[in-house]
Amino acid sequence: MTSTWSSPTGDGPATAVPAAQKLLERDRVVALTGLVGGATVDKVQTLTHERRIPLLGANARPEFAPVADKPRDLSYTWHTSYNSDEPGIAIAAHIKTQVGDGTVYAIGPDYQGGWDELRGFTDTFTTLGGKLANPDGKTVFTPFPATENFLPYLNKAAETRPAAVYTFYAGGPAVAFVKQYRQSALKDVPLYAAGFLTEGSVLDAQGTAATGIRNVLNYSPTLPHAANQQFVAAWSAAGYPGQPTTFAMASYDAAAVLDRALAAVDGPVTGETLNTAIGQVGRIDSPRGDWQFHPTEHRPVQRWYLREVKPDGPVLSNVLLQDLTTLPTT
Amino acid sequence: MHVDTLAVTVVDGVAYGLLLAIAAAGLTVAFGAGGVLNLAHGVLIAAGGYIAATTTAGTWASLVAATVLATVAGAAGGGALAAATAALRGRGHLDQALLTFGIALIGGNLLTTIFGSDVLRPRMPAALEGTVMVAGYRYPVDRLAVLAVAVLVAAVGYVVLHRSRAGRLIRATVDDRAMVAGIGVNPRTVDAAVLVTSGALAGLAGALATPILGVGPGTADTTLLLSLIIVVCGGLGSVPGAVTAAIGVGVVQTVGVVTVPTAAPYLLIAAMTVTLVARRPTVPNGAAS
Repeated sequence: MTSTWSSPTGDGPATAVPAAQKLLERDRVVALTGLVGGATVDKVQTLTHERRIPLLGANARPEFAPVADKPRDLSYTWHTSYNSDEPGIAIAAHIKTQVGDGTVYAIGPDYQGGWDELRGFTDTFTTLGGKLANPDGKTVFTPFPATENFLPYLNKAAETRPAAVYTFYAGGPAVAFVKQYRQSALKDVPLYAAGFLTEGSVLDAQGTAATGIRNVLNYSPTLPHAANQQFVAAWSAAGYPGQPTTFAMASYDAAAVLDRALAAVDGPVTGETLNTAIGQVGRIDSPRGDWQFHPTEHRPVQRWYLREVKPDGPVLSNVLLQDLTTLPTT
Repeated sequence: MHVDTLAVTVVDGVAYGLLLAIAAAGLTVAFGAGGVLNLAHGVLIAAGGYIAATTTAGTWASLVAATVLATVAGAAGGGALAAATAALRGRGHLDQALLTFGIALIGGNLLTTIFGSDVLRPRMPAALEGTVMVAGYRYPVDRLAVLAVAVLVAAVGYVVLHRSRAGRLIRATVDDRAMVAGIGVNPRTVDAAVLVTSGALAGLAGALATPILGVGPGTADTTLLLSLIIVVCGGLGSVPGAVTAAIGVGVVQTVGVVTVPTAAPYLLIAAMTVTLVARRPTVPNGAAS
C-alpha cells in the first residue's frame, strides 16, 4: 500500500507545490489530500490531473480558472467541503423571512473569499425581493488584512438603521469584528454570518461577545446524528481541544471517502482505479449527515444548517437551530 | 456621514493617532539625535503587544503588570539595539538599517515561534469591556482608557523633553552633537539613553494597542510602516511633527476609510504623498553628521 498522506502545505503555493511534486514523483502516491489554501489547490490541481492522480480537497475550492483558454478538466478533482458562495445562498431566504420589509446591511473583507461569501448572500437575498441597507445597494468591503479597527465602519452602518447585518470574516479579523460589533451602535441589531465567523478557536477568543450570533454552515457539533455523536466523542477522547469544526469534519470525511474507495478497488491500486472507486462511493454517512458527490462537479450535495452561538454545557458552541436547505440544487 | 457618528469616529481617530504618536516618537528622536535608523522598532512594538496579550488575565493587577512588563521589555530591547548599533557608529545609515532589519526579521520569527501565528488579544477587566455613553454617543470603555493613557504619556513626554535637563540634552543632541560634547556630555550616552527610552515607548505602545488592534504576525511590519510614514511626514527628529502626523494618520485611517470606502486602501499613501510634496524638506543638522 502506498502512503497517501502529504507533507504540510506550508505557507502557500511556493512551498506546497514542491512538496506535492515530491509526493507525486518520488513517493509515487496514488492520491493527494490535505490542502488548505485556494491558491495552493489551484496550482496542485494541474499537477495531479496530469498524472491521473485523484486530488481530494477538504477545504478551499477555488474557481479553477481556465488554463491556456481551455476549461479545467476536473475529472480527477474532488472536494469534501463546499463552494464559498453557498453559506450566503443557504441563509438568504431565512433572513428575508426574519426581517420582512426591513433592510440588511452587508459587510465583508476585500478579497476573493469575502467577495464570494457576500455575493452568495446579496444575490440570493435581492432575488427574493430583499433590500440591502447599504446606501448604494452594494456591499461594503473593508481592506484585507489591514483592517483591525471596525468601529468606524460599524457606526456608519448603524446610520442606515438596518433590521439585520450579514457578514463573513475568519481568523483574527473575525475576533476583532465580533468584539467591536458589541461595542458599536449596532450592538442590538441581529447579526447573521457565514459560520466561519464563530467557528473553532476564534469563538474562544470572542467569548460572550459572540453570544446570539446566528450563522450558517454545513456542520454543527450539536447535530443529533449517530455518526456525529461518535465523531464528537472520538474527538474529545483523542484529547483535541474544544469541539470539532467543519474543517476537521471535512478532513475526516476525506479520509472516510479514501478508506471506502481503497477497499472497493479490485486489483492493483492506481490513480485511475482509485478515481473510479471514489466516483462510486455513493452516500457517505458523515458527522454532517448523509451526503454524496455531485456527479459532475465532484463536491458534496449536502444540507446547510442554521446555528446560534450559545452555551452548550460549560462551553460556548454553535448550537443547531434548524435545517436550512440542500445545495447545490441542480 | 451624520454629525454624531462623525464626532465618535474623530475621537476614535485621535485615540488611534496618539497611540501611533507614542510608537513613532521614539523612532524619530532616535534618528534625529543619534542618527540611528531603527528598523527593528516594529518588533519591539509587537513584543510589547504579545507580552500584554499573554500576561493579562482579566484583573486590574494583571493589566498593570502587563503594561509595566511590556514597557520594561521594550526598554531592554532598546538597550540591546543601542549596544548593537554602537559598534557600527561612523559606518552610515545603511549598515545600521541592514543590521536592525536583520534583527527585525529574526525577532519577528522568534515572536511567531513563541506566540504562534494567531492574532492574540488581551483579557481586560470586565469594567473595560463595555461601552459608555459620552455626550449621547456610545463609545467602548477600553478605547477611552487607552485615549486617557495616551494623553497622559504624551503630556509627560512633552514635559520631560522640554522642561527637564535630560530632555534638553536630547534636543541639543538633535541640533548639534559637537556642542553637546563641548559641554562635557558624551553624545553617545545620549544616543543609548534615547534608544532605551524609544524601546520603552514602543513596548508601551504595543501593550496599549492590543485591546483595539490585537497582535499577530503582521503587527511588527504594519506598525513599523506606519511609524516610518509618521516620522517622514512629521519631519525627521521632530516630536511635535510626529504627534501631528500621527493624529493625521489616525484620522485618515478612521474617518477617511468610511467616508470614501472605495479608496480606503490608497488613502494613507495619497495623504503622505500630498504632505511630502507640499512640505519643504527639513533635515535636522544632527541627522547629517
